[in-house]
Amino acid sequence: MRQPAMPIRSPFESSIAKPGQGTVVLSLLPPNNPTLTTLTYKYPLKLVPRGPGFVSSPEPSALPNSCPSRPVHLYLLTYGGGLLPGDHIEVSIQLEPRTRMVVTTPQGSTKIFKTEPGSASGINVIKGHRKQMPANQHLADMSQQSLDVRIGRQSALCYLPDPSVPFKNSRYAQVQTFTVDAAAKGDQRSSLCVLDWVTQGRTSRGENWNFRFWRGRNEVWAADAKTGKNRLLLRDSVILDDETEDLDGSDEDLHAEDAGESGLNSHSGRADTPPPQAGLVPLNVIQERTRPHGVVGTLILSGPVFDSLGSYLMHQFNSQPRIGSRNWSSSAPSSAPEPSLSTKGDVTWTAARVRAGFVLVKFGAKDFETAKHWLGGLLREEGSIVREFGEEALFCL
Amino acid sequence: MLLDNPQPQDLQSEIAQLEARLHDMRAQLDASECPPASHAGEKTPWTMPSDIHKHDNICNTFRPSLVRSSSLHALLLLSDSALPLGSFAYSSGLESYLAHNKPLRSNPIASFHSFLKLSIASIASTSLPYVLAGYREPDTLETLDNDLDASTPCIVAQRASIAQGRALIGVWERAFRASFAGPGATDTGAEVAVTAMDDFSDALKSSFGEDNEYDLGPKGHFAPLWGVVCRATGLDLQQAAYIFVVNHAKAVLSAAVRSSVMGPYQAQNILASQTLQDTIMKRIEREWDTKVEQAGQVVPALDLWVGRHELLYSRIFNS
Repeated sequence: MRQPAMPIRSPFESSIAKPGQGTVVLSLLPPNNPTLTTLTYKYPLKLVPRGPGFVSSPEPSALPNSCPSRPVHLYLLTYGGGLLPGDHIEVSIQLEPRTRMVVTTPQGSTKIFKTEPGSASGINVIKGHRKQMPANQHLADMSQQSLDVRIGRQSALCYLPDPSVPFKNSRYAQVQTFTVDAAAKGDQRSSLCVLDWVTQGRTSRGENWNFRFWRGRNEVWAADAKTGKNRLLLRDSVILDDETEDLDGSDEDLHAEDAGESGLNSHSGRADTPPPQAGLVPLNVIQERTRPHGVVGTLILSGPVFDSLGSYLMHQFNSQPRIGSRNWSSSAPSSAPEPSLSTKGDVTWTAARVRAGFVLVKFGAKDFETAKHWLGGLLREEGSIVREFGEEALFCL
Repeated sequence: MLLDNPQPQDLQSEIAQLEARLHDMRAQLDASECPPASHAGEKTPWTMPSDIHKHDNICNTFRPSLVRSSSLHALLLLSDSALPLGSFAYSSGLESYLAHNKPLRSNPIASFHSFLKLSIASIASTSLPYVLAGYREPDTLETLDNDLDASTPCIVAQRASIAQGRALIGVWERAFRASFAGPGATDTGAEVAVTAMDDFSDALKSSFGEDNEYDLGPKGHFAPLWGVVCRATGLDLQQAAYIFVVNHAKAVLSAAVRSSVMGPYQAQNILASQTLQDTIMKRIEREWDTKVEQAGQVVPALDLWVGRHELLYSRIFNS
C-alpha cells in the first residue's frame, strides 16, 4: 500500500532540490498573516506567488466570516508552458492549519510535448530519477508530474488549472495526492476543490486523441498524525492508452492485433460512426473510448468550504431532465427527438456524493471551450468560490 | 507477485505430480485409441498449456479421481448464472448507453458490440486488479474493499458492486462455507481465504449504518470478495480471473437480450465466439500484473453513462 511520505522539509532544501522539484509551505503567522514560509523550485518548474504574495496586511473586514485567513494565490509554471519528454515535475505543498491557497496555471493549457521514440537520452533525463523509471525506454521518456498537497485542518485548497493538452505521440503520467487531517471533524475539516481535465490535443492541427498515453490519478488520503495511519478516501484514476505499447513495436504483431481487435466489432462496422476524417481512418483505441467527447475531466470537492458548491452541483445534476421522458403537456409539436441527449448542451456530466462527504463530478464535452464555459458558468453562478477565494481562483475558467 | 504465496518446492512437487498424471493419461489414451469424439474441455482458454485436459478426449474410462481432484465442481458453481448474486439486475451501463445513443439504434447489434468491448475493457482495468489481489493476498481484503470503494466514482456502480458482493458473502456463508472450509483444504492459501471471509463478514455485521466522516466501515465490494471466494473454493488464479470477466460478459449479454437488443441465440453466439474469448484473454493478460494502485478507468465515457443511469426516465435495471 502506497503511503504518501511526508519528509520533514528543510528550509535549506533549495540547494539540494532536484530539477523540476518545488516545495511550498504556507503558514499562518500571528496574528493572522498567511505567509509562504518556504518557496523553492528548480528548472523547469517555476512557482510564483501572485502580486504581493508574501505578507500584506490582511483586511479582515473584506473576508467572509467563514474564512479564517486571506487566500494566497500561487502560479504553477513550467518553462515553455509545457512538459518535454523526460521532464519530471514534483511539487509538494503544505498548507498549515487555517490557511487557504489558490493554485492556477497562468500559461494556458499544460502542453505535453511529443515523445520521440528512442530519444530518451536526449533532453532532460533527470539524474537520480533514472533508476526509479522503468527500464522500458518508452516509459523512461514519459513526462511526469506529481503534486503532493497536505491540507491541514480548517485549511482549503482551490486548484482549478487549465486542462492538459497532450500532443500527438506524447506520453504523460500525473499523480496528484492530497492528504487531509483525519482527526479533524465537522467544520474543522480540510477542504479541497481539484479539477483535472484532459483534451484531445491541438484541434487546430487536427489532433484527436492521437497521443500515446495519458494517465491522471488523483488520490485523497486521510492521515492520522497520532496513529500514523493513512487511509485512502478517494481515488480517481483515468488511463488513456492507445495500447500500441504491448506490441513491442513489431509490425507483424500490429496487424495481428488489428485483426483480433476488430473481430469483435467486425460486422459492427464503423458505419454507425463516421470516422473523424476522410472516412478511411478507423478510430484509435482512445477515440473509441472517449467518443463522442473532445475533453473529459473530473472535479473533486470535499470539506466544509465547498459544501454549498457540492450541494449545488448535486442539485443541478438531479434536476436535469429525465432521459427518455416525454413532455405530455406541451401542445406544441415539439416531437423532435430530444436534441441529442448524450450531448445536451454538448456537455455530458454526472455528479455523485460518494463517501466521506466527497462530491465527484465527471464530465465530457465536445471541446475545451464548451467545457470551460459550462464549468465556469456553474461555479460563477453558485458563487462560493469567488466569494471565498476571489475571482482569480477561476482564472483558468 | 503471482508466485508469492506458494513455496517453490511446493510448486515443483505439484508440477511433478501433474506431469506424472499427464504421462498416465497419455499412456491410457494410447491404449484405448478412442476416436476424437467430444471436444469437452478442449481449448478452454483458462487451461494452462501444461494442463491435463489438453487433447484428452473424454474416453470410455471414467476417472473419478480426475474430476474430484480438479476444481471443476467449484468452477461450475461459480460460473452458474443461477448463483444467487442478483447479477441479472445490472446492465453495467448498457441501458444508459442505449438511451444516450439513440441514433445507433438503427444498428443495435453493431452498437452493442462496441459497448461490450468497452465494458470488458473497463471492468478489466477497474475491477480485475482487485480480483487478482483478493486471490493473491486474501488477508488484505479489508484494505482492498476500502480502496475499491474509494475508487468507484459513482453511486450507481457502487450500489451494484456492493449488492453483488454482499450477496456473494451470503452465498459463501450459507451455502459454500460448509463444503469448502473443511479441513480437506490442500492449499494453505485457501485457509487464509476462509479466515479472511469470516473476518470480513464479522466486520461487516458489526459496523452499523453510517460511518462518521473519515472513519469508514467495510462495504463488501464484489471484485475483491470474488478473488477471495475463488481462492477459498480452490480455483486457480487464471480461472478466478477468467470466470470473473466471462460472468460480466454474460450479465451484459443477458441484459442485452432483455433490452431487446438481440435474441437469445444471438447472445449465445456472441458468448461462444472466439473473438469474445480472445478479447477476454487479452484484457486479462493486460491487467495480470496491474497493481490495485494502478487500476483505473480506461473508458471515461462509461463512467458518464453509468453515472447518468439515474437520470433515465424509465429503467428496468439497477445499473
